[in-house]
Formats: sequence, C-alpha cells, structure tokens
Amino acid sequence: MINPWMRYLVWPLVKFLVAFVIVQVIVAAMNYIERRLLGFMQARLGPNRVGPKGLFQIIADPIKFLLKEDIVPTSAETVAYFLGPMLPLIPAFIVFCLIPYGPPPTFVPTDTNIALLLIVALTSTGVYGIILGGWASNNKYSLMGGLRSAAQMVSYEVPFGLSIVGVLMLSGSFSLVKIIKYQEMHVWNLFPQLIAAFIFLVAMNAENNRTPFDLPEAESELVAGYHTEYSAMKFAFFMLAEYSSMTVNCCLMVSLFFGGWSLSLFGWGITTEGLSHLGVWGGLIGAAIFITKVMIFMLIYIWFRGTFPRFRFDQLMDLGWKWMIPLALVNIFVTGIVVLAMKDLKFNGEILLSIIGAATIAFTLFLLFRGARPAPAKVAHAR
Amino acid sequence: MFDVHEMEVNFGPQHPSTHGVLRVLLKIDGERIIEAKPIIGYLHRGTEKLFENMAYPQCIPHTDRMDYVASATNNLGFVEAVEKLMGVTKQIPKRAQLMRVILSELQRISSHLLWLATHAIDIGAMTPFFYCFREREQILDLFEQYCGARLTLNCMRIGGMPDDMPPNWLDNIEEFIGKFDAAVDEYEALLTNNRIWKRRTVGIGVLTPEDAIEWGVTGPPLRGSGVEWDLRRAQPYECYPELDFEIPIGKNGDTYDRYLVRMAEMRQSKRILEQCIPLIKQTPAGDIKAKISRVIRPPEGEVYHSIESPKGELGYHIISDGKTQNAYRCRVRPPSFVNLQALPAMAQGHLVSDLVALIGTIDIVLGEVDR
Amino acid sequence: MLVEYPKPRWTEKFLLLDMFEGLKTTFREIFKPKVTIRYPEERLEPADRFRGMFRFSFDRCIACKLCAVACPIDIIYIDVHDEQREVDGKMKKLKVLDRYDIDVKRCMFCALCEEACPTKPKSIWLTTKTYELASYDRNDLYFNMQELEYWEDRPKYTGLPEEETPKQLRGDVE
Repeated sequence: MINPWMRYLVWPLVKFLVAFVIVQVIVAAMNYIERRLLGFMQARLGPNRVGPKGLFQIIADPIKFLLKEDIVPTSAETVAYFLGPMLPLIPAFIVFCLIPYGPPPTFVPTDTNIALLLIVALTSTGVYGIILGGWASNNKYSLMGGLRSAAQMVSYEVPFGLSIVGVLMLSGSFSLVKIIKYQEMHVWNLFPQLIAAFIFLVAMNAENNRTPFDLPEAESELVAGYHTEYSAMKFAFFMLAEYSSMTVNCCLMVSLFFGGWSLSLFGWGITTEGLSHLGVWGGLIGAAIFITKVMIFMLIYIWFRGTFPRFRFDQLMDLGWKWMIPLALVNIFVTGIVVLAMKDLKFNGEILLSIIGAATIAFTLFLLFRGARPAPAKVAHAR
Repeated sequence: MFDVHEMEVNFGPQHPSTHGVLRVLLKIDGERIIEAKPIIGYLHRGTEKLFENMAYPQCIPHTDRMDYVASATNNLGFVEAVEKLMGVTKQIPKRAQLMRVILSELQRISSHLLWLATHAIDIGAMTPFFYCFREREQILDLFEQYCGARLTLNCMRIGGMPDDMPPNWLDNIEEFIGKFDAAVDEYEALLTNNRIWKRRTVGIGVLTPEDAIEWGVTGPPLRGSGVEWDLRRAQPYECYPELDFEIPIGKNGDTYDRYLVRMAEMRQSKRILEQCIPLIKQTPAGDIKAKISRVIRPPEGEVYHSIESPKGELGYHIISDGKTQNAYRCRVRPPSFVNLQALPAMAQGHLVSDLVALIGTIDIVLGEVDR
Repeated sequence: MLVEYPKPRWTEKFLLLDMFEGLKTTFREIFKPKVTIRYPEERLEPADRFRGMFRFSFDRCIACKLCAVACPIDIIYIDVHDEQREVDGKMKKLKVLDRYDIDVKRCMFCALCEEACPTKPKSIWLTTKTYELASYDRNDLYFNMQELEYWEDRPKYTGLPEEETPKQLRGDVE
C-alpha cells in the first residue's frame, strides 16, 4: 500500500503545486486577455506592440511591477499597510487545493466531504485585507472605498451561500466531486436550479468587485478606492488576489452548475467512468474540459465589464438585500418541496424543474434572436 | 455653520470626470449632498478682452476655442452677429447658407456624440465611449476635407464662406449619413433600455419647466423638461425655415429625458442633412460670398444675435463704435455658463455618485464657461 | 414632439432581455474589423486642404505685409526696405524682403495669412500635409526665411507639386 505520508501529504502537495502554477499562469495571462478582449469589444486593439500580437505583455507587466519604485506614505500605519495586500492572497491560494480539476484519482488534490463549506468559509475571509488596506493608507477616500468594498463583499456573501443550498439539497453532499458525479448521472444543475445559477453569477461578480458592481474601484468617483496608495508589488498583490479569487469563483460555478469535467446527460456521454477507462488520457481530457469551461466564464466576466454601466452604491446594496436574498430563499423553498416530493410521493419533480429551466433559456434565446419588432411610426425616430 | 454630521469636500479641479477644470464645493452629510457650489474660472483666458484688440475677421479663430467641442456653431454665431450689425444678412447667397447649415448640423451630431461618450463613461459603461468616437472620427474627417482642420475649424467668414466645397464632399456626407442610423441604434441597444442605466438616470436631477425657465436654462436641458423652445424654430436664421425637422421634448425633466432628447436630436440633425444635400446641388457653384468690402468696418450700433448651438442658446452681443475695425465690446452669452447655474438646484438631496451624472447631463464645456 | 419612451413588455423585463441585447451588441463588435491605424508603421494621409506646416516662397513674395496684418496673434515678423533697381533700363523702386520670420510655437494654424496673400499662386501656404513638427528645444520652432523655404529634410508625403498650389484645391473662381 502506499505510504500514508505519500498519500496524505506529499502527493496532494505535488498536485496542489502543479494546479497552483497552472492557475497563476492563467491569472497572469488573464491580465493580458482582459485588456485585449476588452479592446476588441470596444472597437480598438488591445496591447499589440510588445511581442507578436502583444503576447510579451504578460512578461512585461510583472517585470514592471517588480522594478517599480515602491512608494510608502509616511503617515501610513506600517504593519497594517504591509499586511493589507497579503491577506487577500492567503485564502485565495489555499482554496486551490480544494477544487477538483479533473476525474478523481489523479486530478483532485484533496477529496474532503466538506469541500464546499471550506471554500465558502475561506473566501469570506478575503475581506480583511481590503479593510486593512483601506484604513492603513491614511487617506479619507481610500478608507471610504475600503469600507464600501467590505460592506459590498459581506452583504453578497449571503446570496452566495444561500444559492448553493439548492444544489446541496439535490445532490446530497458537500463534496464537489460527488456533486459533479451527480450532475453526470442527471442533468447539469443549471437547468433545475436556473434561479440559483443566476444569483450565484451575480453574487460572484459582486464578491470580486467587478462591473457592474465595481463602485469601490471606479475611477470617476474615488480615484482608485482602497488601493490608491499602493504602488508596485503591493498593488500587484491586490490585483493577483482579485484575479485568483475570480478564478476560484469560476471554478466553483463550473463545478456546481455546469458539470465540472464531464459532458454527459443522464449518464450518457463523457463521464468519470468513461474517462477512467482511458487512463491518463482520460484524466487529461477531463481536465481540458474543465479548464475550457472555466475560461469561458472568465471571458464572461470580461464581457460583463465591457457592456454594463455600474450600479450606485445604495442600489447595489438594495439589489443584494432586497432582491437576491428573497429569490434565493424562494429557490430553497421550491427545491425543498421538490426533493420531499421525490422521496415521499415518488414524483420526479427534478425533471419538471429541469424542463422549466430549459424552456426558460430557450424562450429567452428565441426572444433575443427573433429580430427587431416593427418600429412604431413615432416621429422622434423618423428616418 | 456646520452640523456635526456635515463634511465639506472639494470635488476638485483635477478629477477624471469633471469635464475640464470645474471645482464643485460640496457640503455632504454621509453621502447626501446638502449643498453644491460650482466654482469656475480655472480656464479663463480673457477672450472677450482679446476681441477688443483684433479686427473682426481675426476674431473668428478665437471663437473656435471657446466651446472647443463644437466650433462651427461658435463661428456661425459670431459671423451672423457681425452680418446683422452690418445689415447684410439678406445678401448671403443660398449656397453659403446651405453650407453653413450642413456644417452646423454635422457639428451638432459631433458634439452630441462626445457628450454621449463622456456621459456613459462617467456612469460606468465603457464601450459607448469608443463607439461614439469612431463615428466622430468620420465627421472630423469630413471637416478636414472641407476646411483643413478637425477641431478648431475657422470655417466661416463674414459675408459667406472661405472656400467652395471640395470635389467629393457631398458624396462622403451621404456615405456617412447612410451608416449613421445603424450606429445610433447600436448605442441605444446598449443604453436606452438597460435597467442599470435607467436606475442611474431616471429621477436624477429633475428640473421642472418653471425652474428651468427661471434659471435661464436653454438647449436640451430646457427641452428635456418639456418646454418646446428651439431657436431654429422660434427665431429662425440661415435657411432653417425651409427645412423640415422636429423638436424633441421630454416629459419629466430628469437625466433620462435629457438623454433621450439628445439622441432624438442626433437623428433629426441627420434628417436635416438629408434635406440639405439635394438643395445645395441646385445652387450655382462658386457663389459663396456676399459682395461686401474686404475691410470689415460695421456702422455704429449694437446687436445681440443668438443661435442654437448643441449646448443651448449661444449669443453674441457686439457693440461697435463705427470708427475702428475692432469691436468696442463683444460679450458672449455661453450656454454652458448659464446652464451650470442650475446645478445646485438639481443636485439637492442626491448622492455624490449622482453628481457625476448631473455634470455630464448638463453638458458643460469649461472653455465656454470660463472663456 | 414627445420623445419615445421604451415600453418593455413583462416577459422582457422578467427575462432580462435588455441586458442580453447589450451583451449581444458587444459580442458582435468583437468580430468587426477595427479602424485603428498603427502609427508609426502606418500613417494616415491628411486631406488635401489640411492646414499643416508653412512653406514660403521668396521668389513669389511681393513683401506687401498683408499676411502679418491678418495674423490674429502677430507672429509673422517682416522687415522690408526699399531699393532702387535697374529693370528693363529704368530705375524702379522695389521692396526687398529682409526678414520673414514666423514664431511657429505660438501659431494656431488658422490659415488667415494664407488667405490674405494676394499673389497667385500664394507665397505662403499651409497645404503641405506635414504635421510632425515636434522638437526637443523651443528655440527650434522659430523659423526664419531660409528655414521656411528649405524643405529638403522634411518628409515628402504630399503628392502636391512644390511649385504651385493647384487652383482646384481651393475652389477659386476666376
């Protein structure tokens, strides 16, 4: 048998390090991809001078951050100032060892049965760094930005957590691997839990301070919010933390609602069993599917940034407390009824929910692509 | 003086979204604005004093630089005021009048595109900025083909126009018009129906019609409040009486209405351009200047003439003493200066984030406010 | 005429169709060709009437000083003296141009000087399509007569003939 040291310490550490390195490469590349894709959406080219198509920008940016002059305001609170950027990084990095990147034996660093709970708890602790950073800068506007950001993140933790409860009820376990296996056997959790997926998407955006919820970082209001007074590497840490937690949230979204590394419907398609027959190649195919899905969601983040205006702060809090939480509670209520009906009345309510979810998506796409309605002949828009 | 909760904050002259160097002194309670006082003068260049030392034709490049976003209408106002003082308004040939209208309407579209770009990016939507500037580039190319400059046009002279049209200019304008409607539809798809945009603009900065008239607000803010007053219809100049266009007005007087009014104005300007092109093809080529002396020496008297610039009523009050080639006094009534006075009334009770939207919706250009 | 307020239907509001319209618009934009011009590898050629850097022709200039009078900011400095010269056997009084300097760093390129010049073709013209005038020293931007005429070290982008500004450019009427 495998040495317990190997099985429980060394081997997960190796897997974690590999995953960590790959994710950090993705994070560094995200900086470039964001600028380039945002440029394409805005009828311009992004960075395109540094290398072929601007690819060397990925190297040039970290070099710039490392070599830049590190300005520390004299009136800043020293310990908190230095601690501020490091604190959001710690949970962002730890979480990477809890996410399943591919089919179980090789590609999952650890397979605890409370993985989801741990992930939600760890990402909640990312707020401390922001508060410390904003306060330690000794700048009225940084403080305001930091507090606003903290209030926003804390208040969107609640819908974040509540929207997951429906998924938990359907699949019956906190372990991400089991949730993905459940989705293989049935349908992707997107369809029965459409409202929960939407709430999770919105809460994800709000957690990461991304448009349309990026008021704390908005240039036109408070210059740059809590990271105004940071330069060079400390600023890079904040950015790294933000992109890392974006990646973690995308991985969560994919695992919980979009089937993780599998592409199957009712057990028919690419499943864990099928992949395990192919050995190593099966694992790699599964990991590739997972990374593709995660990148699609990262691109959706950028897509949102390029399209929407931003919410005002009180409207943001309104949305979180008055709309997202009641919707999430309604979702839990309905899912609970469905699960009970499945157990007691042997009525497969989940299929009903999936059909409703799929029909809603189809109807939305139909309305979207139907083409313009004939414009009413009002003179204001006379051609 | 101050309540214990109030704080006085400077929305400083250097700020990414105060469209120039505008300083607003805010008295805020948490985030609600109790009092907002705009402080101007950071861009004062003494334009009116310069006008006293220069001959009338030499003043025209300086009028470009007041409202640097819409310089053709600045030129037009000045040139028409001097012509009115000299009494030669009826002698301007038809071709020159039509060219002036074409340039003014192109400038109106360009100014509104810039307004939309900056307003959207202040509220957070980054993409309309780039889309609008792409269309604006095409208009600036048209200007460059006509008079050689893109922004400070210097494109009108007292008594007519400096040059006749370059060979393919009208075809290029038609090509631009053909693509313009689709572009405006694109901006509207991004913003008009968007619920986030509506939340940021509906109900913000409401100006009742009575208040608007009392503050002296003109232009799209006045029309957004429901008052149907446009100088192109009320006191027509050039050949506007022969052209067929509508004046869009709003209902509630909030930021969303002003946005809709300006979008509709862009479409109406395009409609005017469509009508002008066949009309100008019928006029004889080369007939672009009235027969007045080269040295401009108006008789003694004073005149006030105003036109509808994209920002509101732009007026010139010129006093001449009949003896010299310079004006004795030339006073400019800038629309942004007068519209800015309504800012404290509009900002009452809103949040600091709304102040940015309000400054954007009044559409001020500091070059005009400070001259 | 009242502006048209959009009236979304109940289904559209519920299904967030307005947000998706915006997303669709941005998505389509990714695939359209971009209008960026990559300077300095590609350069946008200005229009024919573009008001660029001055060019002066000593031979055509009759030293009438109309350009200096017309300039709104008085940056053209002209010195003229009278001379008696022998032309066709008779003594004629001619004006000789001593100094023709332009302080380009204050110029606003309004072309009023070009318009005032009475010679045909003009002795001072701006339609040279040259706009790259930046320099490291402010004193380099005070051009005297020889520098205004010397065009050898400037890039020749324009296809305009150096000797004459064609009439059809300015729509002059005979």
